[in-house]
Amino acid sequence: MDLELSDIQQELGSTLAKYLRSEYDQSAREAILGSEEGISRRQWNSFAEMGLIGLAVPEGYGGAGMTFAEVAVVMEAFGRALVLEPYLATTVLGAQAIVAAGSEEQKRAILPEVCEGRVFLAFAGFEPGQRYSLDTPRTTASVAANGSVTLRGEKSGVLGGDVADHFIVTAIEDGELGLFLVDAGAEGLRRSPHRQADGLGSAAVLFEDAAAQRLDSASAAEVVAEVLDTANAAIMAEAVGAMETSLQMTADYLKTREQFGAPIGANQALQHRAADMYASLEDARSMALFARLAVTAEAEGADKDRHRDVIAAKIIVDRSARHISQESIQMHGGIGMTMEYPIGHYAKRLTVISRTFDDSDSLTAELAQLGGLVEPYAADLS
Amino acid sequence: MDTLLSAQERDFAQQMRQFYRTEIPEELRFKVATGQELSKEDMVTSQRILNRQGFAVPHWPREWGGQDWTPVQRHIWLEEMQLACVPQPLAFNTSMVGPVIATFGSEELKERFLPATANLDIWWSQGFSEPNAGSDLASLKTSAVRKGDAYIVNGQKTWTTLGQYGDWIFTLVRTDPSVKKQAGISFLLIDMRSPGVTVRPIQLIDGGFEVNEVFFEDVEVPARNLVGEENKGWTYAKFLLGNERTGIARIGMSKVNLARAKAYAAVTKTARGTLLDDPLFSARLTKLEAELTALEMTQLRILSTQSAGADKPDPRSSVLKLKGSQLQEDISELLVDVLGPQGLDFVSDRVQGSGFSDLPLGAVDALPAYFNMRKVTIYGGSSEVQRGIISKALLGL
Repeated sequence: MDLELSDIQQELGSTLAKYLRSEYDQSAREAILGSEEGISRRQWNSFAEMGLIGLAVPEGYGGAGMTFAEVAVVMEAFGRALVLEPYLATTVLGAQAIVAAGSEEQKRAILPEVCEGRVFLAFAGFEPGQRYSLDTPRTTASVAANGSVTLRGEKSGVLGGDVADHFIVTAIEDGELGLFLVDAGAEGLRRSPHRQADGLGSAAVLFEDAAAQRLDSASAAEVVAEVLDTANAAIMAEAVGAMETSLQMTADYLKTREQFGAPIGANQALQHRAADMYASLEDARSMALFARLAVTAEAEGADKDRHRDVIAAKIIVDRSARHISQESIQMHGGIGMTMEYPIGHYAKRLTVISRTFDDSDSLTAELAQLGGLVEPYAADLS
Repeated sequence: MDTLLSAQERDFAQQMRQFYRTEIPEELRFKVATGQELSKEDMVTSQRILNRQGFAVPHWPREWGGQDWTPVQRHIWLEEMQLACVPQPLAFNTSMVGPVIATFGSEELKERFLPATANLDIWWSQGFSEPNAGSDLASLKTSAVRKGDAYIVNGQKTWTTLGQYGDWIFTLVRTDPSVKKQAGISFLLIDMRSPGVTVRPIQLIDGGFEVNEVFFEDVEVPARNLVGEENKGWTYAKFLLGNERTGIARIGMSKVNLARAKAYAAVTKTARGTLLDDPLFSARLTKLEAELTALEMTQLRILSTQSAGADKPDPRSSVLKLKGSQLQEDISELLVDVLGPQGLDFVSDRVQGSGFSDLPLGAVDALPAYFNMRKVTIYGGSSEVQRGIISKALLGL
């Protein structure tokens, strides 16, 4: 039984943590948040130089050829620092989709530029009024007589869509789900940039006969399922980092904030609630690990359990994120509600994460539909 | 979680599974699986079969019947035992007094007690809590005054689980009332047949008589029954309570009970199908399944840390107790809710006599178990005590 991080993963984690502590502290982050693009291209270049962006991209396309386990280490560190750059959108969603579904030529054209930090990617799957559904988009793909493909439709909540250079888009072609690559500069593509509550950029994107290429080296439905499971595991790792920092900050506050002549943490009511937050954090750590193991499992038939395990994990991580984010504001009191104090920023990211690719209720319903995790069995029924 | 085990560990798990399911009588395992009360004979039978194979006390020193198992092997041993519904070795013997005697007792005490303790030839009771010493155990008052070669013991213990079967009782007694409360306590072994020992059963809200009060009136206890040194009892007690916490999450047992509630729900009809199809019931069940998986992963993470050689006190052990006990209670409540109105009587048999329908599955044990399970967030360091331990580690206040 070895669930510890490998030496390489530990090294990656500590190097990155050190970098973020000195280069991505609260004031650096505030400056990025207040900038026009809401991200720092200088930071992005540094991430590229550290090899983070192409971490899980095969070496042949300019990446480091590692696995999601290493990406999870990065996400956790980013969660602690609340990194704003579109790592999830570009590396986890975008690059993975192209690795899985792109042709050799498409991979060669795009992935090296991604790994070098020169272009951003975004996955455009969700649509207005469709909540978290990805299976049946209303966006359609049409093929002209000359074989060229164009897309028509509207996507919403496109993470990183505000700065993306290429979009990976789901659309229906001849009744089948397909994946398509669209240049941000394509004629017929318009985007309306948004800023999420947590400061991350997104966009609504309109495709009005925008030129596209098929990404059809693998089944689109399977690629979408795998990419979403991986992205969910990634935001669970990020959430763990954010929760860990939130709890640490809250514990420090309980120790230093004095009222009625004593640190407020001297009150057992608060001590016990802080202990419950710790228990929630451990649950979340355990389930983020469970999800990571599910996503990286290579055993035969592992993909069948992958989705079930990931959603079970997300139910717990969402529950912990809600608990810790709400309690950390409450325990900070009024200061926790201000923009100038960091704790509320963690709460905002955690609140968004819990609702990013699905929400707790829909996950619970889906897990029940899949039969849950425990086989029904009773000795007196057999 | 089998995929996280090495090939050897998987073989070991298979070997345990095979042993439990072939060597322990089916009838005993059926009783555990359906929540029936075990008799003293049932528990003795099970423990002796385990002991013959070296599976009753694997965590003891090797010379006294232990096995040199890794933390993962010990986990598998217990998990598979619970999944197979094997009556567990008596904790008072194997997890509590046995390791204390083996670690702190004289050679004479070890030879006299350890083999009989492992084999359940002696049934041990626990004499720690008192009416005014619960979570604040060190404030206990039962006194032992040295008189020649003996101690004269006076006082009262309470919550003595299964004390009605007890041959011997291991006690914490006050041997020095003049010092700080923790510093005047000794660990004394008392023959329950000694003159002056009285056991009085306490009925609990589940209807049963699981616990007892034990009174000591001028009980003469040979001084050689003292474990270790006089006035060092608190140290031994802390060691014992540390052992009590391992395995207290009872994850295997919770899996069995959750599977049982789920199976009953699947055959329980409602106006719209089965109870398992009911959206609110199924949401509650599903969340418990996810919670239990999280707890299991936490246990495996702790094991992984131990396997990597760390031996520090770990606040995650308190999380295991806190969350594991809460889950046991939640699952017992789920089973009650599967039964509905027919689960509200205290009955001794599902079969109601000629012409009457049988009561639903679980009707005999679900509600008593629900009330009995209230204990798990109270004993072994209550949830509040665990939160205190965690917040101290976290806040250091």
